[in-house]
Amino acid sequence: MQASAIWQFSLDSLHALAWGGPLLIALVVCARFVPLRTLVISTTVVTFALVMLGAYVRLTNAGLGCPDWPGCYGKLSPGLAAEQIEAAEAEAPAGPVSLPKAWKEMLHRYLASLVGVMILAIAYQALRGRRRDDYSEPRASVGLPLALVLLVVLQGLFGKWTVTLLLKPVIVTLHLLGGMALFAMLAWLSARMLELSAGPPSVLRGIRPWASFALVALGFQIALGGWVSTNYAALACTDFPVCHGRWVPSMDFDQGFHFLRELGMTAGGEPLSNEALNAIHWAHRVGALVTLMVVGFAGLKSLRVRDLHGYGMALLALLLLQIALGVTNVLGSLPLPVAVAHNGVAALLLATLVMLNFALNSPAIFRR
Amino acid sequence: MSVSVQSPALSSRLQQFLQLTKPRVISLIVFTAVIGMFLAEPAERLLTAGFWWAAIFATLGIALVAGSAAAVNCLVEQKIDAVMARTRARPLPMGTISSPETLLFAGVVGGVGLTILHVLVNPLTMWLTLATFVGYAVIYTLLLKPLTPQNIVIGGASGAMPPVLGWAAVTGGVSSDALLLFLIIFAWTPPHFWALALYRKNEYAKAGIPMLPVTHGDRFTRLHVLLYTVILVAATMLPFATRMSGMIYLISAVALGSLFLIYAVRICVDYSDALARQTFRYSILYLSLLFAALLVDHYARF
Repeated sequence: MQASAIWQFSLDSLHALAWGGPLLIALVVCARFVPLRTLVISTTVVTFALVMLGAYVRLTNAGLGCPDWPGCYGKLSPGLAAEQIEAAEAEAPAGPVSLPKAWKEMLHRYLASLVGVMILAIAYQALRGRRRDDYSEPRASVGLPLALVLLVVLQGLFGKWTVTLLLKPVIVTLHLLGGMALFAMLAWLSARMLELSAGPPSVLRGIRPWASFALVALGFQIALGGWVSTNYAALACTDFPVCHGRWVPSMDFDQGFHFLRELGMTAGGEPLSNEALNAIHWAHRVGALVTLMVVGFAGLKSLRVRDLHGYGMALLALLLLQIALGVTNVLGSLPLPVAVAHNGVAALLLATLVMLNFALNSPAIFRR
Repeated sequence: MSVSVQSPALSSRLQQFLQLTKPRVISLIVFTAVIGMFLAEPAERLLTAGFWWAAIFATLGIALVAGSAAAVNCLVEQKIDAVMARTRARPLPMGTISSPETLLFAGVVGGVGLTILHVLVNPLTMWLTLATFVGYAVIYTLLLKPLTPQNIVIGGASGAMPPVLGWAAVTGGVSSDALLLFLIIFAWTPPHFWALALYRKNEYAKAGIPMLPVTHGDRFTRLHVLLYTVILVAATMLPFATRMSGMIYLISAVALGSLFLIYAVRICVDYSDALARQTFRYSILYLSLLFAALLVDHYARF
C-alpha cells in the first residue's frame, strides 16, 4: 500500500481539464504579458499568503480534508464530491474528513498550483531575457528561477505526501520548510528586482557576518517551530516562562526528536509520551531565546547604519511581536488567529532578514 | 438588393476571414489526416458506410479546429506579421479585421469543429484534436516560439498529430503504426523549417524570433539540417521494418530520402539562399509523395 500511496494521482479527466485550462491561461498571461518585476513581487506576495493558508490548514486539522491528491475524491472541488465526503463524515463524525475541511485543503491546493504556474512564468521570462540585449531593466539570473521551479515541484510532492502518507511529522515539517525556503528565495529575487542596496562597503563589513548568522539561527528556529506544530506539542506546556512549574521539565529528547515515525507515535508504535512533547516544546523556547539574541543583535547593529535603519526597525518590531504571539499561544491555549499569525510573522522575519542580507551584498557603489 | 447577390463588401470580408484560417496550411493538415484514415483500415472497410461517415465528419472537424488554431496564431503574431514582408498583408496587420472579431471567429469555428468531432466521430478524436490545438496555438505560438531555437522541434509534435487524429477517427484508437506516421512528420519538421529559416534569417531576426540561424548562426543550422535529415530518412525506414508497408513504399522512401539527403549535404557544404529555397520546396513535395507512397503501398501490396 505504501508504494501506491506515494504514486497515486486522483483527478477525473474533465476535472483535470477544468483545473489545467485556467492554469494554462494564467501561465500564458504571466509569461507573456506581465512585466518580470511585477510578476516576481506578486508571486512573493501570493506565496506569503500560501504559507499562511498552509498554516491555517494545519492548525484547523484540515490536512486530511481530502484523503487523495490532487483531486478531492478525484473531483475538482469538494462541492462535486459532497456525496463521498458526507458518507465519510457519517462513518466517522470526528474523523479528518468534512466539507469545510475539504474546502480549506482544496483552496490551499488551488493557490499552490497558481504559485507553481507563476514560478514557471518567472523561469520562462528569465530564460527569454537571457537572449535579449536590453540592459535597461534588472535581469533575473537563470539559476535562481530554475532552482525555484525545482523546489516548487518538490513542494507539490511534499504536499501530496503530507496527505497520502497521513501527516507524518517529518513530511509536514519539510513541507513547511520548503514553503519558507520558496518564500525566502522569492524575497531574494524581489530584492534583486527592487535593486535594494545599502551604504558604503566599509560600514557594512561589520554587520554582514551577523546578518548571515541571524538567518541561519532563524532557519533553525522555524524548523523547531514546525516540529512543535506538526507534533501537536504547542500545548505541552501551558505556563510561561516555566513549564509545568519548572525551568527544566522532565523531557525525553530521544523520542521527541526521532524523525521517522507516525504522528503521535514513537518509532516503536507506542503513543508518544508527554516527556517527548515537553522536549519538543522546550527546544523551541530555548531556540527562541537564542534567536531573540542573534537576530536582535543584527537588528540593533543595522539601526546604527543610516541606509539600514528601516531593516533594523522592522527586525526588532517583528521579533518582539513574534515573542508576544508565541507567549499568547501558550497562555491562551493556541487561539487560531494568534497561531496563524505566529507563522506569518516568522515568514516576515525571514523575508526581512533575506532582504537585509541581499542589501548587504550589494554595496551602494554599484548603484546605478 | 436581392438576397442571392452578395454585396462586394461582404464577400471581401468573408475572404478576409478565410485568409485568417491559412487555407494552404489547412489543406496539408487535412491531407495527412485523411491519409492517416485510409492507412488505418484494410481495403474491405472502405466499402462500409461507417468508415465514410467517420472520415467525412472527422475531416470537417479537424479542418475547422485547424482553421481556428491558425486564426489564433494570426491573432498572437499580428505584431510580428506586421514586421515581416511575407506576412504584412494579412488581415490583422492591415487592420481589416479586429482582434476581438478574430477571437470570436476562432472560438466559434473551433467550438463547432470540436462538437462535430465529439458527437459525430468519437470523444478520443476530440480530445486529441483539442490537445493538438492547445499545443499549437498556446504552447508553440505563445510560449515556445519566442523562447527557444528548439521551438519548431518541440512544436513539431502538434504538426505531426494529424495522421494520428485521422487514425483515431476511423478506428477509435491509436496504434503503433499511427505513432510511426507521427514520428516521420516530427523528424521532417526541423529540416523543413530550418531550410526556410536559413534564407529568411534577417526577417526572423528583425521580428525578434530566436530561430536557430539567428541564435546559433548559419553553419550550425546547416549541420543540423543534415543531421535531422539523416534521422528523418532512418525514421522513414521504420514502416518497412515493422511490416506496416512493403516494397513499393521502401523503394519510394529510399529514392525520395536520397534526394533529400543530397539537398541536405549540399546545404551543408555549398550553401546558397537559392538552394535553401529549393530544399524548402522539395521538403513539401517529399512529404506529400512519401505519404502518397504509403497509401499506394497500403492498397496495392505485392
